[in-house]
Amino acid sequence: MTTIVGILTKDGVVLSSDKRASKGFFIGSKVTQKILKIDDTIAVAIAGQVSDAEYLVNAVRAERTLVSLQRGYPLSVRETTKLIANIAYQGMKSYQPYFAEFIIAGVDASGPHVLETDMSGALSAENFVSTGSGSPVAYGVLESGYKEGMNLEQARVLASSAVQAAMERDPGSGNGVDVVSIPNSAANEIIVRA
Amino acid sequence: MESQQLGRTPYFYGPEGALVQVDFALEAVNRGSTTVGIRTNEHAILASYLKPTRPLLDPAEKIYQIDQHLGATGAGYIGDVMKLIQELRVNSQKHRLTFDSPIDVKTASEDLSAYLHQYTIYAVRPLGASVIITGKDPTGVQMYQIDPSGTYFRGSGFSIGAGSDRSIEIIQNGYRPNLSLEETVKLAKEAIKSATKDDNQVELGVVSNSSSRFEKINQVQVPSSAQ
Repeated sequence: MTTIVGILTKDGVVLSSDKRASKGFFIGSKVTQKILKIDDTIAVAIAGQVSDAEYLVNAVRAERTLVSLQRGYPLSVRETTKLIANIAYQGMKSYQPYFAEFIIAGVDASGPHVLETDMSGALSAENFVSTGSGSPVAYGVLESGYKEGMNLEQARVLASSAVQAAMERDPGSGNGVDVVSIPNSAANEIIVRA
Repeated sequence: MESQQLGRTPYFYGPEGALVQVDFALEAVNRGSTTVGIRTNEHAILASYLKPTRPLLDPAEKIYQIDQHLGATGAGYIGDVMKLIQELRVNSQKHRLTFDSPIDVKTASEDLSAYLHQYTIYAVRPLGASVIITGKDPTGVQMYQIDPSGTYFRGSGFSIGAGSDRSIEIIQNGYRPNLSLEETVKLAKEAIKSATKDDNQVELGVVSNSSSRFEKINQVQVPSSAQ
């Protein structure tokens, strides 16, 4: 179920999601928050089993904190995604997979990044991406609307209209749209120690 | 003391509170070949004295590539040094598998420090080796020294091995943060010469902000006696 969307622009990144949590043919919640903050520079949009997704995000948030304390500068967006992918891969290989998909969007010292990972642990960097049951519909909007060189505001509009379109035709998605954008200016600069 | 008389576990602390085994390990390092590291604003070099070997024997390798961006050298028992080098190499590759990124110099040093520390709390022989690690990471060119106790230092000038008291003095006096690569190499060789009276057999490695690769410089000259 769910529709989530991530878009990369030159000015930053955008995540968007619907707000429906389904329990079979029943709508379990109409106000679900599917975009989770990792810190001021990175957010994750989740699709699938909420408990599995939240467990992975919490584990990675803790690991990120430990690593940045140890080495003195934060994990990049890709490194953060890799941590989620590692656990997902282990889960798949031990026949206890985490039933979740993730879009990780954030800004770091090397710029803005949007990455996707899933229960197999596969990891890919994308310009725009959507997952969840509504994603075929959302991709229709993204494929026709995405342009290179978009600014953050244009990407916000595109992301929410993609989710909006999915909510119209996918019974697993609905009840409103969340949009989050992270501008490049949020990135932590790595302080070069003399 | 009682346990000592029973002839089972060795002692850890001496009556003064010193970790006796660790102090002995440090003494072993002081018998090793003179090895220095110098870090400037732009680059860092490692230099190690190659003890003259008998004819038909190749000198041992003393500067080790750890990863593309990381290098290390050591002084002390060569077997112990190699164990630490292997540990560094394995940790660097583990980091790449876990994070999809090269390990930073601080984490590499702290991992090795934790490894050495394990040998100070159990009834085992602490490794008789110190290493100097250098490399380029997002925080710039960094250099660390790690001792058998697990203590590590970050800095710009290090010397370990025989005569290191003398060679560190040469480095301290000649150091400027804006030394050129040639000047840094010269200073390192001078430092080694002050301790060994011989600068012919020196192996060198360098990493710089611009290239961000650690590379060995092959400057091992044929000793004049063999020409």
